[in-house]
Amino acid sequence: MNVLKVSRLTITAFVLPCLLIYFGIVFIPIIVSLYSGLLDWNGIGTSTFVGLDNFKNLFFHDTIFWPSVRRTLMFSVFSMAEIPIALFIAILLRRYIRKPNFLVSSYFLPVILSVVIIGQLWKTIYNPASMGGMLNQILIVIGLESWSRSWLTEPAVAMYSLYFVALWQYLGYHTLIQFTGISNVPTEVYEAARIDGAEGFKADRYITLPMIIPIFKISIVLAFIGSLQAFDMVMVMTGGGPANATDVISTHMYNMSFKSMQYGYGSSIASFLVVVCLIATVIINYIFNKLEKRFS
Amino acid sequence: MAKASKMLSFILASTLVFSLAACGNSTNDKKGDTASTEGAKPTEKVAEKVVEKEVKITFQNIYPDTTDPKNQLMKKLVTQYQTEHPNIKIELDSLNTDQQKLKLKTQAASKEVPDITIVNPAAQMKPFVEAGLFAPLNDMLDQNSLKDTFQEGLLDWYSFDNNTYALPDGNNIAVVYYNKELFEKAGVQVPTTFEEMLTVVGTLKEKGITPIAIGEKDSWTGSFLFMNMLLRTNGPGFLQDVVDQKKTFDDPAFKEAVDSFQSLVTAGAFQEGATSFDYNAGENLFKTGKAAMYFMGTWATGGIETSSVNGKVGVFKFPTIGGKGDPNEFMLAPGSAFAISANSEHLQETKDFLNWFMLNFPKEAFTAKGAVGIGQVVDGDFKAAGYSDMAMEVLGLFKEVKGGDLAFDNTMNPGTAQVHLNSIQNLFVQKVEAGAVAKEHQAAYEANNK
Repeated sequence: MNVLKVSRLTITAFVLPCLLIYFGIVFIPIIVSLYSGLLDWNGIGTSTFVGLDNFKNLFFHDTIFWPSVRRTLMFSVFSMAEIPIALFIAILLRRYIRKPNFLVSSYFLPVILSVVIIGQLWKTIYNPASMGGMLNQILIVIGLESWSRSWLTEPAVAMYSLYFVALWQYLGYHTLIQFTGISNVPTEVYEAARIDGAEGFKADRYITLPMIIPIFKISIVLAFIGSLQAFDMVMVMTGGGPANATDVISTHMYNMSFKSMQYGYGSSIASFLVVVCLIATVIINYIFNKLEKRFS
Repeated sequence: MAKASKMLSFILASTLVFSLAACGNSTNDKKGDTASTEGAKPTEKVAEKVVEKEVKITFQNIYPDTTDPKNQLMKKLVTQYQTEHPNIKIELDSLNTDQQKLKLKTQAASKEVPDITIVNPAAQMKPFVEAGLFAPLNDMLDQNSLKDTFQEGLLDWYSFDNNTYALPDGNNIAVVYYNKELFEKAGVQVPTTFEEMLTVVGTLKEKGITPIAIGEKDSWTGSFLFMNMLLRTNGPGFLQDVVDQKKTFDDPAFKEAVDSFQSLVTAGAFQEGATSFDYNAGENLFKTGKAAMYFMGTWATGGIETSSVNGKVGVFKFPTIGGKGDPNEFMLAPGSAFAISANSEHLQETKDFLNWFMLNFPKEAFTAKGAVGIGQVVDGDFKAAGYSDMAMEVLGLFKEVKGGDLAFDNTMNPGTAQVHLNSIQNLFVQKVEAGAVAKEHQAAYEANNK
């Protein structure tokens, strides 16, 4: 502790306010919602303690829950699969573009836009051709009329349309993170490698990749947790419809807690989500620690 | 020494922070003071005579749209009341319907219901009443005989155990609005049976006109239409019979309604991608003349009157299905209603205000051209006051109402209602066996009524 040469009192005084806020807005609500998950409660009236009944119903009787878990996990897989692409773009930018900052900022632009705006924008793009939907009109013009469909209302494709928008929005975000990671690799290393005969993608394979593993991990964790919590975009674009075909864990939770007025049940879904997030973070950390050890 | 000086700087820093915070507080206080003195100035004399305590009433409402006549008349009445009662300050909390529902539920969970709030009738307000959150308004209804201004029987939807807990701002029925110009263009007549309606839909579709506009992303819209079809195939009271265990959802009438509904969908009656249109987007299709028919509660009348299709729109009753049903039975929609928090700090003042507000509501609504479908008796000649032909037609239909049913979510508990709404939304995107729909409903009903 004393490497910083300040007294414990000072450290406590500075850390405490943040810690209290953190406890107040993160830990206490989690505990409260874990407890509410054990109640049969409509959120307003009296509540009765039902133990694990909510979880039993959730895991064994809820026909919407498991499909929504599947969609959420698919979402995370897609978002994680996007990161190597982002890395590849970042490498290309670093190598072939003289002043890449402008491009990186442009790719980053969708992240700054509010999800509601993005949702509305893509809703118009996905609209049926008769309502002026851009995507369908393009498909018709280039002669692929059989491919045109109402992207957001056919249960089979609606979810994929949503994945695509989210991936499009966050590609720039991850590109930026990876780009920064690559920029931080000291140029001397590359120069030394060039003398040893490693250039181009060979240099990337043996220098860039191992050196940006920590940055890669940040991206993976962000993508995974972010997609587990996906809510706003689904709500704006489809509202979980048609007929629950695009429900994810968090929209199901919202519908249960507030629309069906089963607050206790909704809380049990929330608890499930928290546990999944924690487990996933632990697993990802474990994998990357191994990777880092292997390459360093 | 270094340690001591660091300690000192820390103390200094914290005093700085606290003094800043203190500054913030004092300026706030000052602002509050000036505002209240300003408010009292014009009526200083009255205030001197009767020194009354300052009362602040929070008025949560669902009239956020400043172009809506109801928003204007609410503001007018509130300002007037504040000038007459200088010690009372009414704070408006205007939200749109969905936000308000959510906010109220959150507030109710922490027992912090605003003095006046908005609830929906029957099953939707029941949890709040059972939790004892609302004050009974019986005494207040007798005051200035406010009760007599309401249409007969309307207050029953807001009463539990002989206590009335909320006062409705409206009482609507569901009708089919149709665009006369588009009907003429396609050469079709107003249908009197459901079978004719299907042919009309077919003809309109051939001419490239969207037959019926609907905002099915907000799934209650489709449910509202479905329930009207159930009202035809079964007659009124189906859901009540289910509650009383005289019937189950596996009833032939219910399945016939599902099949009829699917025949509308397969005939292509609704715009493409209907489930991604929210309420406003759906209504806009009709209001911009892109769709020929629009099934909605009569509360939509005002909005259609101010749109580009005004003057070309007529209304008709939802037709019979397979010769069954009485067109004079409508989907009834007793409106959202004002309730008063049982824990209000100023219960009496709030009651007095709401009493005065509701007494003046019909008159003001009438002059603001917003009186079609309000829940109180209106004196006055609508025609002479300049109401449109369509509004007159709607008012005419009101006179023919011979009972009907409430919307699904006003009759059933929220859990079952949610399953129902999704189940009906599903009919828009895929063909489902009527028996399966019935089974899904029955299972949800049993699971939510253990």
